[in-house]
Amino acid sequence: MTTMIQVENVAKTFTLHNQGGARLPVFDNVNFHVEAGEALVLAGASGAGKSSLLRILYGNYRPTSGTIHVTHAGRPVDIVAAVPRTVLDIRRRTLGFVSQFLRVIPRVSTLDIVRDPLLARGATPETATERAKAMLARLNLPERLWNLAPATFSGGEQQRVNIARSFVDPSAIMLIDEPTASLDAANRDVVVELIAEARAAGSAIVGIFHDEAVREKVATRYLDITAFRKA
Amino acid sequence: MTLHVAPAALDLEPAPLLSVANVSRFYGERIGCADVSFDLWPGEVLGIVGESGSGKSTLLRCLAGIDKPDAGEVLFRGGSEPLDIYSVSEQERRRLMRTAWGIVHQNPRDGLRMDVTAGGNVGERLMDRGDRHYGEIRERALDWLQRVEIAGSRIDDRPRQFSGGMQQRLQIARVLVSEPRLVFMDEPTGGLDVSVQARLLDLLRVLVRDLGLAAIIVTHDLAVARLLTDRLMVMKDGKVVEQGLTDQVLDDPHHAYTQLLTSAVLSV
Repeated sequence: MTTMIQVENVAKTFTLHNQGGARLPVFDNVNFHVEAGEALVLAGASGAGKSSLLRILYGNYRPTSGTIHVTHAGRPVDIVAAVPRTVLDIRRRTLGFVSQFLRVIPRVSTLDIVRDPLLARGATPETATERAKAMLARLNLPERLWNLAPATFSGGEQQRVNIARSFVDPSAIMLIDEPTASLDAANRDVVVELIAEARAAGSAIVGIFHDEAVREKVATRYLDITAFRKA
Repeated sequence: MTLHVAPAALDLEPAPLLSVANVSRFYGERIGCADVSFDLWPGEVLGIVGESGSGKSTLLRCLAGIDKPDAGEVLFRGGSEPLDIYSVSEQERRRLMRTAWGIVHQNPRDGLRMDVTAGGNVGERLMDRGDRHYGEIRERALDWLQRVEIAGSRIDDRPRQFSGGMQQRLQIARVLVSEPRLVFMDEPTGGLDVSVQARLLDLLRVLVRDLGLAAIIVTHDLAVARLLTDRLMVMKDGKVVEQGLTDQVLDDPHHAYTQLLTSAVLSV
C-alpha cells in the first residue's frame, strides 16, 4: 500500500477580524491517512467542518497548525508549507478537486473545459478531444451542448461538465464534495462507477456524499470528523 | 512516512525570473510602497490587489523600471547574466523594456502611438528588436491582430478609429509580438464595459497560458485576479499585508484588510 495523504495534528480556527475578532474553532488534532485505492468518506453532521477539511487537503484553506503530506511525483510533500507554484504543480499532476459547482469561464466551450486537464498533462489534442467526447457521452450530456459555453446550462448539466472534467483523467488523489447533489438516478450511477474505476486504477479518494445510497456504494472506510470538534 | 522532502526540492526552474528585494518609494514623507520583496518564477502570474492609493501602481512603476525606487533592488534573469535593473544604463534599461519586457497600460493611449496605423503599432516593436524585412513584419503584425481578434482588414486603420476594447487588444498585440518573458499590466480591463472585459480576460488567460508568460498584474478587481493570477499580494498603505496562492488568499483571507476586501464584493 502507498500512503497518498498523511494528516498530522491539523487544527483550524477562523478569525473574523471585522466582526469583533470573533474566533470560530472548527477542529483540532486531526490525524488520519489515506492509502492508494481507498475511498474515505467523511461523516459528521452539517456544519461539522467536512467541506473545510476537504478544502484544507486541497491547499485552499490554510490550517492554523499541522502538516499534510501528499505523495507527489513519488515523494511526500507538505502542502501546507509548499510555495504557491509547488501547490499548483501538485494540483495539476496529483490532486484533483470535484466541487458541487462549476466555475464558468466566459466563452470557453464545454469540450475545451473537459479537454483542458488532459492537455495540461501533455496529451495530444486528438487524444484529449476523443477522451473528452467519450466522457461527456457517458454522462449523457447531449452532443449539441458540447461546443457551447456552459454558462446557460442547468445546474445538473453544469455539474456533469464538472464531473467529466474531473474524471476524464482521474488524479492520483481525488477530493470530492457532493458530486451527485443535482443529478438524476442514472447519472448518479455513472458517477458511482467513475469513482469505483478511479479507485481500481489506484486513486485515493476522499469524499463527502449526503446521498446515503451513493455513500454506501462508494465508501471503503468512514471517518467521523465530529471526533475532532473543538470542545 | 519517513522521507519528508522540503518543497524547494521540487523546484521546476533553477532560478526566479525576477527577484525583488526591499523595494521602497517615498513621496516626501508619504509612503508610496515600502519594503516589498518577492520572487517571480518563469510562467508565474502574480496579482497585486488593493484599493486605489494602496501603492500598487507605484510598486508596478518601480518594478517595470519606469520609476526608480528610493531603496531596494530588482534582479532580472532574462539573459545569460542577472541584470540589476536600476544599476544598468538608461539605454540598456530601455532596450530591455522594448524586448524582454512588455508593459500594458490601463489607458491604451499611453501604450499606443495614436497617429500610426494598427499594423505600424505592432510592427514597430519588431523593428525595435532589429527585424528589417518589411513583408515579414507586416505578416507577423497581421497574425497578431488576428490573435487578438482584430480583423486583418483594419491593419491600415489608426487606433483612434477603434473602440476602447479594440484599442486595448491592439496594445496587447503590440506588447506580445516581441515575445517578452515578462509582462506588466496595470488594470488591463479598467474602463471597459463588462462584456468587453470578459472577452479581453479570456483572451489574456489563453495568451498567458499558451505563451508561458510571467506576468505581474495590478488590479482592484478580485474577479480579474481570480481568473488570471496564480498568486496574490494584497497591499494597504504601501505595504504588503498578505500574500499567497490566489485561491487561498481569496477563500481563506487571514488579514483584517483582506477579509474586508473579499467581503465587500458580491461574488468572486
